[in-house]
Amino acid sequence: MGRVRLLAVVLCLLIALFPRIGSAQSVLSPEFAETNSIYTPTEAAGREIWMFATAFNDRFFTYTYPQRLGAAIDWYEVLAAGRRGDLFEAWGAIPDPDCCLPGDPDCPARSADQTYGFMWCPGDDDLLSFVGREGYVDPACGFEDAPFDAGTPHGAVDQRQNACDLRFGTSTGALGLRKFPNPRFDPVNWEEIGGWEGYAAFMAGDPADPDSRANRLMDGSVEPPFRIGMACGACHIAYNPLNPPEDPSAPEWENIDALVGNQYSRISNLLGNGMSQHRLEWQLIARARPGVVDTSALPMDFVSNPGTMNAIINFARRPLFEHQVLKWRKVAACEAGADPDVCWCEPEREGKCWEKSLQSEMVPQILKGGEDSIGFEEAIQRVYFNIGSCAEQCWINHVVDLRAADPAQRNYGQTPFDIGQCRRDCGSFRAIEDRLIDIKNFFLTARPSDLWQARGLESPRDLEIALDGEFFDGAVEEGRVVFAENCARCHSSQENPGVDTDFLAVEADDPTLRSDWLGSDEVVLASEIGTYGARAMHSNHAPSRVWAEYASLDEKARPADPVRQEVMKGGGRGYMRNISLLSAWAHAPFMHNNAIGPEICGKPGDPEVDFYSSPYVDGNGQVLAEAPGCWAYDPSVAGRYALYLESMNQLLNPDQRVAKMFVLDRDIVIDLAPNVELLGRDLGLSLTIPAGFPAVDVNSLRYKDMIQDLVLIGVDPAKFEAKYAELLTDAQRNELRDGLAEIRSVLLETKTIAAIQLALGHDEAVVDQVEGLTLRVGNDFVQRFYSNILDRVENAGHRFGEGLSERQKQALTAFVATL
Amino acid sequence: MVGFLRILAGLALVAIIIVGGLWAVRLAGFGYLLSVSNERVEPVRAEIPFAPLVDMGLSDADNPTKVFRVDMARVEQEFPLSRGDLAGLVPANILAMNQEEVDQLYGRLTAGPIPDGPYLGDLFFPVGDTMESRLDEILGGLKGRIAAEKIETVEGAGRALWKGKMFYRDDRVLRNFIEDFRSLSGLIDDPEALERATVPREGILSWVLPTTDVYLLFPAKLYCGQSLLDGRRESVIIDYAYNDDLPGYQERPDGLAGRNGLRVRDEIRMIRPGFYLGRAYLNKVFLLNFTLWNAEVAEAGLTDSAEGAPVAEDCWAGEQVRHAALQ
Repeated sequence: MGRVRLLAVVLCLLIALFPRIGSAQSVLSPEFAETNSIYTPTEAAGREIWMFATAFNDRFFTYTYPQRLGAAIDWYEVLAAGRRGDLFEAWGAIPDPDCCLPGDPDCPARSADQTYGFMWCPGDDDLLSFVGREGYVDPACGFEDAPFDAGTPHGAVDQRQNACDLRFGTSTGALGLRKFPNPRFDPVNWEEIGGWEGYAAFMAGDPADPDSRANRLMDGSVEPPFRIGMACGACHIAYNPLNPPEDPSAPEWENIDALVGNQYSRISNLLGNGMSQHRLEWQLIARARPGVVDTSALPMDFVSNPGTMNAIINFARRPLFEHQVLKWRKVAACEAGADPDVCWCEPEREGKCWEKSLQSEMVPQILKGGEDSIGFEEAIQRVYFNIGSCAEQCWINHVVDLRAADPAQRNYGQTPFDIGQCRRDCGSFRAIEDRLIDIKNFFLTARPSDLWQARGLESPRDLEIALDGEFFDGAVEEGRVVFAENCARCHSSQENPGVDTDFLAVEADDPTLRSDWLGSDEVVLASEIGTYGARAMHSNHAPSRVWAEYASLDEKARPADPVRQEVMKGGGRGYMRNISLLSAWAHAPFMHNNAIGPEICGKPGDPEVDFYSSPYVDGNGQVLAEAPGCWAYDPSVAGRYALYLESMNQLLNPDQRVAKMFVLDRDIVIDLAPNVELLGRDLGLSLTIPAGFPAVDVNSLRYKDMIQDLVLIGVDPAKFEAKYAELLTDAQRNELRDGLAEIRSVLLETKTIAAIQLALGHDEAVVDQVEGLTLRVGNDFVQRFYSNILDRVENAGHRFGEGLSERQKQALTAFVATL
Repeated sequence: MVGFLRILAGLALVAIIIVGGLWAVRLAGFGYLLSVSNERVEPVRAEIPFAPLVDMGLSDADNPTKVFRVDMARVEQEFPLSRGDLAGLVPANILAMNQEEVDQLYGRLTAGPIPDGPYLGDLFFPVGDTMESRLDEILGGLKGRIAAEKIETVEGAGRALWKGKMFYRDDRVLRNFIEDFRSLSGLIDDPEALERATVPREGILSWVLPTTDVYLLFPAKLYCGQSLLDGRRESVIIDYAYNDDLPGYQERPDGLAGRNGLRVRDEIRMIRPGFYLGRAYLNKVFLLNFTLWNAEVAEAGLTDSAEGAPVAEDCWAGEQVRHAALQ
């Protein structure tokens, strides 16, 4: 009896002393665990982290995003249980097979009230009990780590950061979006504002009332029941081209691929859906075609350049390039008194140190301009910053405050993110960093999606026969020759590719792994390709910019393109990396911005979340009244293949492309002056930018430079000259100075007139003047000197192959489908 | 993603330049009310460490004139402030700092507890690295001097009207207090309905009359939230955007500070108990600094600090360890 009592006491002590261990996804979902069973422990761990770890970005999306960055997400519009049917069609989000609708027969939640309106997902029984209070133990705490790699300088003892800092939360019902109980939730306050609907509802119906553009998502005093976080999977998880679901709104785990990249994702729209569509942010940033996102919109580089979520496949054969890499490397110790900027050891750990050193290293050129060129694992780590992880601890202070107009003010411009500081000050950084090898190992498992397999054929030869039947006899072989002679120079990783090259070769020791990456991965000047150049003008990896530490030294020193007319084009800008054509049949539309090929769109049941708007314009940049329609999402094999065929047709026949350029589809209304009555006068002033105005004219403008220059030419001309001494020729500088002087003069004159008109109560006349001047940002002078991108047509360029005969184009299309 | 407008300034630039001056004149007198205070105190230089004003290790080839400041995490790591440093600070010390020094001080603070009760306030506009008014620095010459004098006038007007803030910690509400609202009477819907409070008096007069009655205007919500200067930890936010939810709200004048008005947002961090440093923004554009002071709390705080009492924190204090300040 005494022994039993002793055991009970020990048990109680254990319970009291140690926190409860959460249950990771592999435990919460047997179905998911089953899909993990084909992987080694390190690959499985990497997969779970990639799909579910948010690395503490739930605070970013709940607080930093609306309060500091001024944007808002209406999560309920996306994730409400009753909207599950629109998850894929409206947002391109992949429904989580494990979640259920409250009230459904097998669903543990009996009503949506129990789940605050969301779907019920595994782990919610525990999570829901912690809404409004502290003490939640994250499922990541129960994460089963892969065996520790004892072969690094960090030694044989496992000193990885606590897995709790991976922060899994539970599913929201959309894969990659995770929820966490908000300990600050106040149910009384929540009820008073009307719950989720009241949280996001606009506060007035009359468009003339500024409250018609305001809701409570910006009210920082309101704490919703959940903090929503985002895993990398939010953009990268999609349907397996080899095994798509019959119903894209009701997939099974076997239909889901964590690495293929979501070409249907409307993540850009999602990231702005809490804002009025008359707001600048919505019109200029949140609107993007499916499958692309501007990852340099948040650490703003003032060039709108949404890009695709690339397929992560066959990475074991991705080409590597020698670069001069200055980065932190693992070491066992630092010398006593070492400069912590050069060598640093993690406190309370033995021999877990890093040293910053410059080495020549073979690394991949990961991003679309070849950026993130300091190593595979570092590139993976940086993805977590794209999704908001460690924002407060390490990087939000390095990004631009868009309203800071004083050049001496902090956050006027970017400053470089400090990897060493982030390692020191963000536990979630360390939690990810200590497991990068697992994520990398998972990446290396991904293989191309071969069309012959997707069609259920026996072999590549069977596909060739089928394609020959579809195109013409011998089409695939003829296409192979066309490819070798016209395309392989850029789209093969083999040496001196030619007609004798086997582009479909596989590795002897692993027949699932292709030998040819089907792309050189080399960087070339974007102007040589002719494609829309905005992505090439990305500058976040340039010296002194936020991601400068993620660029190799030689990348930052790449010479500027003499052909480009933009003023700011140095610091490594102007380049695009070649792409792989592996599984091209499954990844259309084409190009880094998905712009060559048909537009695709979902068909949601609720028209309010149908975000398609035609980007087709005429030669004058005006929206086409009779534009081509969009193609409905169709992730089936046949659907992907049909999209591929038409995209190839547009690729090879550039003269048939209808130009695409996003223009405002609604008026933008900017409330300039307070809408209050004072001394019998309504003080309100609003500025309207009309629908139809080219978005790029304003969303890529270096307005801060323009403001500074307008001041400098008046008060400090010498400083103006010094600023542009190295950037502009004498003639350009003279033109800029003269043009600014003219604008300044007009502004000063208009100011006087406006003052008189305001005094007379002619506010509308002032608004007209202001609008007239504002629209001048689109004029040639302002654009030439202050736009970061002068290209306009988004589906231009890559005209290679247009001179082929029609038969050759057909043959090439047939062959590329086999890749 | 998406910060507030890639281009708002680009678009609004023109508008601001045209109408800004006029509206600023119209509104300044009212907007600045929300953040300010008493008679000018003589600045006294404090002996606390600062990082260099400029990070000379960085430059921008796109804009050689760009000024780089030392990263806030580095300022805190390499120039930590001890509890003793903070205990020795008084409002007069802040007035002796240029804006970069004020920013560096703010970045090395935590939010502390959300205050409760009355706090007397003082305000000051940004001063550049040369200790001249920032506008004076930018515009230079006669125009700069005129602008600087206008700022001083506005500062004085604000100080004369605004006396401090009354915190209702339990309700997460704040109101600003003024001693005499007559100069604003044309702006107030119902002066008779204004709330009143009795607060401690400062200065020599307090020896005779230790308290004074004040009027409470411009309610705001109080919560822990994001600093617009230093994201590494939360600040206490004083947010007027949704003040129409609050009891006693009057459209005139309280709406002037709200989301359809000047969109005032303040944030504060604690230097030491009873003493907070604040930043006021209009529509997220930084406008001025202010201090808040409660002598009673400050005195008790010094005693507690001397006895080694831990500093209370209501808000998320981030992950960078403030070794020195904890000692």
